[in-house]
Amino acid sequence: MDTLHGMVRALCAVALFSGAAAAQNATFQAGLDRAQVGIGEQFTLQFTLANAGTGGGANLQLPDLGKFHIMSGPNESSSMQIVNGAVSSSVTYSYVLQPKEQGKFTIGAATIEAGGVTLKSAPVAIEVVKGSTRPKQQAGGQDDAMAQIGENLYLKATVDRTRVAQGEQVNLVFKIYTRVSIASYAVEKNPTMTGFWGEDVETPKNIQTNPETLNGKQFRVGIIKRMALFPTQSGELEIGPMEVQSAVQIQDRRSMDPFESFFRDPFGRQVNYVVKSDPIKIRVDPLPPDPPSDFKGAVGQFAMSTTVDKKSTRTNEPIDLKVTVSGTGNIKLIESPAVELPSDFEQYTPKVSDNINRTGDRISGSKTFEYLLIPRYPGMKVIKPVTFSYYDPSKKEYVRLHSPQIELNVEQGAVAVTPLITGGTQEDVRLLSQDIRFIKLGEPDLSPRGEHFRTNGVFIAMLLLPLACAGGAFVYARQRKAEMLDQAGYRNRRAIKVARKGLKQAEYLLKEKGSSGAPASNQRLRFYGEISKALWKYMGDKLNIPQSAFSIEGAVAELGLRAVPGDIITSLKALLETCDLARFAPTSLDLAVMQRTYDEAQRIIVALERILR
Amino acid sequence: MRLRTITILLLTLAASNGLRAQSPEEQFRRANQLYQQGKFAEARDAYGAILSGGYESPDLLYNLGNACYKSGSIPGAILNFERARRLLPGDDDLRHNLQVANMMIADRIEPAPRLFVWDYWDGIRNFFSLTGLMLTVYLFYMLLAAVISVFFLARTYALRKIAVLTGSGFLLVFLFLLVVLIARLGDVTRTDEAVVMSPIVTVKNSPDSKSTDAFVLHAGVKVLLVDRVGSWSKVRLADGKVGWLEGSAVEVI
Repeated sequence: MDTLHGMVRALCAVALFSGAAAAQNATFQAGLDRAQVGIGEQFTLQFTLANAGTGGGANLQLPDLGKFHIMSGPNESSSMQIVNGAVSSSVTYSYVLQPKEQGKFTIGAATIEAGGVTLKSAPVAIEVVKGSTRPKQQAGGQDDAMAQIGENLYLKATVDRTRVAQGEQVNLVFKIYTRVSIASYAVEKNPTMTGFWGEDVETPKNIQTNPETLNGKQFRVGIIKRMALFPTQSGELEIGPMEVQSAVQIQDRRSMDPFESFFRDPFGRQVNYVVKSDPIKIRVDPLPPDPPSDFKGAVGQFAMSTTVDKKSTRTNEPIDLKVTVSGTGNIKLIESPAVELPSDFEQYTPKVSDNINRTGDRISGSKTFEYLLIPRYPGMKVIKPVTFSYYDPSKKEYVRLHSPQIELNVEQGAVAVTPLITGGTQEDVRLLSQDIRFIKLGEPDLSPRGEHFRTNGVFIAMLLLPLACAGGAFVYARQRKAEMLDQAGYRNRRAIKVARKGLKQAEYLLKEKGSSGAPASNQRLRFYGEISKALWKYMGDKLNIPQSAFSIEGAVAELGLRAVPGDIITSLKALLETCDLARFAPTSLDLAVMQRTYDEAQRIIVALERILR
Repeated sequence: MRLRTITILLLTLAASNGLRAQSPEEQFRRANQLYQQGKFAEARDAYGAILSGGYESPDLLYNLGNACYKSGSIPGAILNFERARRLLPGDDDLRHNLQVANMMIADRIEPAPRLFVWDYWDGIRNFFSLTGLMLTVYLFYMLLAAVISVFFLARTYALRKIAVLTGSGFLLVFLFLLVVLIARLGDVTRTDEAVVMSPIVTVKNSPDSKSTDAFVLHAGVKVLLVDRVGSWSKVRLADGKVGWLEGSAVEVI
């Protein structure tokens, strides 16, 4: 029993001692939640008494706060910690104040009695400025809570760099800094990113918070959004603010009234609070001038590969050409590289598929372009190397990639008689449905090739024959015409013919017997007439003398000039006289005389013809 | 020695006789049979053999064109139809088949429009066969000669007048037909038309393989050869396009 008493007393002694010791270490500090405040805004003045021992503080004397309205307070809160058996405790008295006028003020020292000692706090300075230093908060009743949240909850946007080349990746991170407990949050407004193409980077579903110090205060920090941005234009670009609405769990510490506390939600209440990040400016440098002709805006580091599914095919059977670009950079923005095909290939728009990895620090992945090619004609075909250019921001230069040349062997597919339907006009369709007509089965009528006609003798003869006919006719006609123009020669040559004709007529008359067996008298007259006419005509033609200007004497003289022998001239003269006599005095006209006259005439003409040639 | 020479000579003769065992007409009938049996490729070779034997006829070329068409060679068909048309332009079957074959080629070439007079001219030109035209021209030649002879020999004015009137009529007809005949002979012997035989040929802007591409032609297109530099030929299409291509890509009709 005694021993028990002793132990209790010893414990009490320890407790008292320690309490006294604590009182001796007590501190009293003044603090402001911020150094600058706008007029009409509220701020918190805190006095913290630490290690005051069991007795706590008493008789708190405030400094002169005439420049401020006391909106609430004192709000008292206490805490106690035991760390490794060492007990520490603190009591905080806080006042919410609102400045009355602007300027720089010093809040003087406050005093408090603790453990029989009077403690004095250090003075604190505050600057009151015009206007607001933080977003306007919601309606009056909640001002206090808002103010509390406002200084304990921030949304900060950060980028890993503020100056990039066009198309280069910028990592944008939205972090929430909090000292309050957030029940839930929702993105109210996504940031505006004009001039960027943004890709969300995956973040863990459950926000992990890490401690971080901001302005000397410990915050819990969680990443709520991570983005990879690729500027699509150059110049000064701005990332707009993001707004997040968060439901904040607060506990009202205003009243210490136990009854009031009793009716309150023991977990505090929720307040909706909107936090907003600051806009960020990013300077985007344009790409160097003179890009390669096939550069289409790819920026990063890439590799390219091409594959065909088969090296040889038949006409009209498709080939699959795959071009894969992989690497890091703005993969999504890569356009299909141009594939230069032999012109008899049919080419379709490529099928594009991409596979983008959004988890790492840099966006990476691959983009595949599948070209369907249909060869229409057989032969060895060459697909020229596919080229792809990109800008490498780390090397600060353009890089051009080449694939190897692809050779394809195209064989003739199905028989080409199946028509290639080329046009679409009505007429084509009608004709295509028709077939060619049948072959000719008759005699082929073959001839040596290239010989369309033969220039042999027969041909030439046939060609010349009509010409010769016409020519002959022409020559004959010309001759005849010439003879007609040469009257004297013509008469000369014709004389004998005419004379013979006359003699023939005379002979006919001589031979023709009348009904009495002898020629009739008129017949005899005509006989002499014919003989005479023939002789005269002959001489007229031969000597080229018109018959009208003709007499026996004239004729004899003319004949004499032409060296006709005298006996012939005499005979001719006698004959002509006989004829005249017989015609004008028809007396003794018997057949024998007629016969003699005829013979004489014939003899003279023959003789004359011989001389007058 | 002498005996050997004679033997060789005899053998050579026998061999040549063996080759000549089939007359071209028989070969033609044989090829026709092959065609009728549906052996188009063999028929084509048989027709080709007659042709390379140095013989030619419109029917042979027509049938060869048909065999080419049926065995899948459209450009070959067009080439032979065009060759046949040179000899027999007025043939209806030929015109039809050529039209069908031309529908099968890949390139559609719209001929440049021309004056209707040329269509009439073609119609007249292609009305006669070459032999018929030659005979007609010869007939008028003889008539003309006869009328001229009559004119010279005529003794009366009336006869001469008739001869002059009929003769001038004959002369006009004769001269016109002569022009047609010369044009036809020009058609038959011309070598400035060709058919593209390569499946595809890239026509360049100048006679140089490094030159820029002007256009692409496919087999079967008829082109006009207008110039030549080395192995390159300058061609003009019916629609007026002009370019250069390798001479080996085309075959002259």
